[in-house]
Amino acid sequence: MNEEIESFEKRLKRMPLRQVPAEWREEILSAAAKAHSVPRAAAVSGNSFLSGLNRRLAAILWPHPVAWGALAAIWILIFAMNFSVRDKTPVVAEQSNVPPPEMVAELQAQRRLYAELIGSSQNDSSDVDRQKRFVPRPRSERTWLLTA
Amino acid sequence: MQRPGDIERLYDEHASSLFAFLLNFTRNESDARDLLQEIFVKISREPQLLENVQNERAYLIRLARNLAIDYMRRRDARERAKENVAAEPPAIFALAGDPDEELFRRELTLALKDLPEEQGTVAYLKLWEGLTFEEIAEILEISPNTAASRYRYAIDKLRERLRPLYKEITNTR
Repeated sequence: MNEEIESFEKRLKRMPLRQVPAEWREEILSAAAKAHSVPRAAAVSGNSFLSGLNRRLAAILWPHPVAWGALAAIWILIFAMNFSVRDKTPVVAEQSNVPPPEMVAELQAQRRLYAELIGSSQNDSSDVDRQKRFVPRPRSERTWLLTA
Repeated sequence: MQRPGDIERLYDEHASSLFAFLLNFTRNESDARDLLQEIFVKISREPQLLENVQNERAYLIRLARNLAIDYMRRRDARERAKENVAAEPPAIFALAGDPDEELFRRELTLALKDLPEEQGTVAYLKLWEGLTFEEIAEILEISPNTAASRYRYAIDKLRERLRPLYKEITNTR
């Protein structure tokens, strides 16, 4: 079996390849010479930055263009979903009715009341704590805290 | 810096090999010719490409392959498919005096055309360029194991397809 494969491979290897047509030599070499003599400055001047960028991008994206394309598509999808979800919120808020002024006034009154209550209780408790902490006492009287 | 004589030397040393590679890759003589010219124009324009290159042939084949891939993408896919179906692939091998041998070479060309591109390229580089799997792997940017397995698949398919003809020719000799 292996011998058969080997002899088949040898047979294929012996096949002479077709030669490039002789008349092409002059044409191709003269085209190459022309390209060599064309001043590069013209090509480099205007769009050198863009072409350079394009070349660099192509070099980066070249190995797996499909994978990069798929990744870009996924990102676009994520952005689209994000925007569609975000857009709904202001629309709902805009559609809801403005509360009547009485309700607003009542809410503000309640807010003020809460603020006063919270403010006073915080002040009271903090004062009491401070008093507890900083009342000056003789050292002998302070030991009860340790023994208690 | 490349001298004008260098491009001629490069042409004389590598053009036939590159042409055969491009014929096998594109299956179209006119495309192969255009691409061959594109390679030498590119080398002439950017001679620094070959600076510090140890294996010129391998480098040029790699360049040929990349240019061919770009070229095929640029072309209209539908037009290409139509051409490929309609036209017989161009001969990759030299003409043979013996009719049996000629038939075998034509069949081999057809069999190569029917191989998947990646298998056909590996088979071509191994059989007719005599490259190692490591060298092929470097050119095609694949692992040597992948190159070897692609080669094995290609040989099996070619052998299967050409077996009747091959046996007939070897029996008559």
